Amino acid sequence: MHDGLRDLLRHRALIGVLVARELKARYRGSVLGYFWSLLNPLLMLAVYAVVFTLVFPGRSSATSPYAVFLFCGLLPWNWLASSLTDAAASLVVHGPLLKKVLFPAEVLPAVAVLSQGVHFLLALPVLLAALLLGAAGLFGRPVPVTAALVQVPALLLLEGLFVLGLGLFLAALTVHFRDVKDLLATALSLWFFGTPVLYTLSEMKDGTLKEILSWNPVAPLFAAWHDALFYGRWIGPGRWLVIAAVSLAALAIGAAFFGRLRDSFPEAV
Amino acid sequence: MTRGRDLVVVAESVAKRYRRYGKTRAFGTLKSAFLGRGLAEALSPSDSVQALDDVSFGVLRGETFGVIGANGSGKSTLLKLVAGILKPSAGRLSVNGKVSALIELGAGFHPEISGRENVVINGVMLGLTRKEIERKLPGIVAFAGLEDFIDQPVKTYSSGMYVRLGFAVAVHVDPDILVVDEVLAVGDEAFSRRCLDTIAEFSARGKTIFFVSHALGLVEELCDRVLYLEQGRVKGLGETREMLAAYRLDVAAGEGERLAVEHVKVQEELRAEPAAVASPPETAPAPSPSPEKPRRWGDRSAVITACRLLGGDGKERYSFASGDAITLEIEAAPARPLDDFVFGVGLFTPEDVCVHGTNTEVDGFLPGRFDGPATVRLTLPRVELGAGSYLVDVAIHSRRGTPYDYWRGACRFHVESSSQDAGFWSPERSWSVAGGARLSRS
Repeated sequence: MHDGLRDLLRHRALIGVLVARELKARYRGSVLGYFWSLLNPLLMLAVYAVVFTLVFPGRSSATSPYAVFLFCGLLPWNWLASSLTDAAASLVVHGPLLKKVLFPAEVLPAVAVLSQGVHFLLALPVLLAALLLGAAGLFGRPVPVTAALVQVPALLLLEGLFVLGLGLFLAALTVHFRDVKDLLATALSLWFFGTPVLYTLSEMKDGTLKEILSWNPVAPLFAAWHDALFYGRWIGPGRWLVIAAVSLAALAIGAAFFGRLRDSFPEAV
Repeated sequence: MTRGRDLVVVAESVAKRYRRYGKTRAFGTLKSAFLGRGLAEALSPSDSVQALDDVSFGVLRGETFGVIGANGSGKSTLLKLVAGILKPSAGRLSVNGKVSALIELGAGFHPEISGRENVVINGVMLGLTRKEIERKLPGIVAFAGLEDFIDQPVKTYSSGMYVRLGFAVAVHVDPDILVVDEVLAVGDEAFSRRCLDTIAEFSARGKTIFFVSHALGLVEELCDRVLYLEQGRVKGLGETREMLAAYRLDVAAGEGERLAVEHVKVQEELRAEPAAVASPPETAPAPSPSPEKPRRWGDRSAVITACRLLGGDGKERYSFASGDAITLEIEAAPARPLDDFVFGVGLFTPEDVCVHGTNTEVDGFLPGRFDGPATVRLTLPRVELGAGSYLVDVAIHSRRGTPYDYWRGACRFHVESSSQDAGFWSPERSWSVAGGARLSRS
């Protein structure tokens, strides 16, 4: 497992050029260029905002202004979901590379996670603008913009490690089971509603459902995103510890699973 | 020869077993894994194919090492093992030095971005730093001859351009060991010549080349030593000429066996086919649209009951070396006593070019009496044919040409030649040079 991760560091130059290629290839030939990567979350945001503020109004003041609250959770979720989708398919899509060229397989899921990470980073300025407008009271109740934003890079890193771990696991699994891709799409939409992105766990009534949802491994991470971005709160050391433990465990398991199966890739892909 | 030089590739009892996962031949689904067997069981190999078994050899630094063998003998697997793409299932394989594999050229190219950017990425993939590859870029572009296209997206390239660029990158990363698969066949004549020159130049600079090919001529031209694989096992390892001769002999023997089996089948088919047609579809020898397919016609005043080819030793065979003696044996019987009959034989290439045609009348024989089963033999003491396969037409007809029984493609045989000469005639020959030019025996 450690070999696999060391290889990732050793191949960082390769990962770098491949991420750049991925982005270039995606934006080449499209007039809107990188705005496409903003358009999608913005549209999604608009839909959810309309649905939950106009169609089903009457939400608690804890998540108001709701559009900004949504934005703070949706962007990190989109990174997670799109990275996992891309990472799961990465080995199969680049099959010829693994079959015909001496190519470090673990690079491919990492490239998927990082390219989607770049999209996330590119969307962050828009989020920041929304927060500042929110702070000025443009959307109703003023949003507190505080120094708690400095926690964002740490959250980025921890989410990245978690997604990489899970991505490695899914990529290896997809090589042997081609339906993982389809199952993943369903699993992700279930997982989305099971994760505090549209809501917060603290505003839920105590009960079995809340009990179950709090076992979601990424629940602490998304609560932390909301705290750092929307509520301007500091995250305590205990919570950091939990988030870090989940991320590192995911990475360890994912890398170990990937390492076990990696010799089978050139033959099975 | 081996003294004072070190080994860059060492294989000790290397075996490669390809595993098949899941019961289905293609790929399993997670759903079936959960519904049926356990996940762990689904991930463990259920079936295996032995591609290589107990293969041992060593490649010296600076040597050009060839691997030959029929399809499915494990050549490509061995190549991928040496390139590091696959891992051996058993045994030990050590490779010392940077390997660049010309297996699938341009496999890492992304169609949407420019050739220039792809070269950079490909170079990094092959282990160069960005700076190194950017320094080499002009040389690569010039080698591939793509100066005008390098900034176009790769998807606009022709397949030849694609391969040229891939080859250019692969040879410019300056590997210690160059692994070459059947890639030189692509690209035009000029480019494949340049590829060969590059490989030769590599070799001259003391680099090691691991070469896999079906093109025996190339192997002979390039390789110092050759490994001959048969069904995943080492059939031979040694000097190039010796190994090639062994391989050619085996191929010829295999081809002969195949043709003998085919001959029996053709004979049966022809016997079953009634020669009801009194005249040939067109004038004989009729240029049939598919000369591969046997045809038979004639009025059956006399019938050919069998025909076979014999070697110089009198044994039936269908594979010969150029220069061998061949005897064609025809068994025939008349329907009624005849005194007007000619036995004829035609030799054709698969493209239906007549190599030789003769009959008893042309060769100065007049018919006497034909009133019972007879065996007619035509012996050609030296068949100076080039390598390839040939078809034999056999006929009995009247002196005026009315066919009694005409068998088209009644026999088919194969000629193996150790020479690389071209064409269907491979005569005995000698060269002499006088004056300012000198030649020496290779």
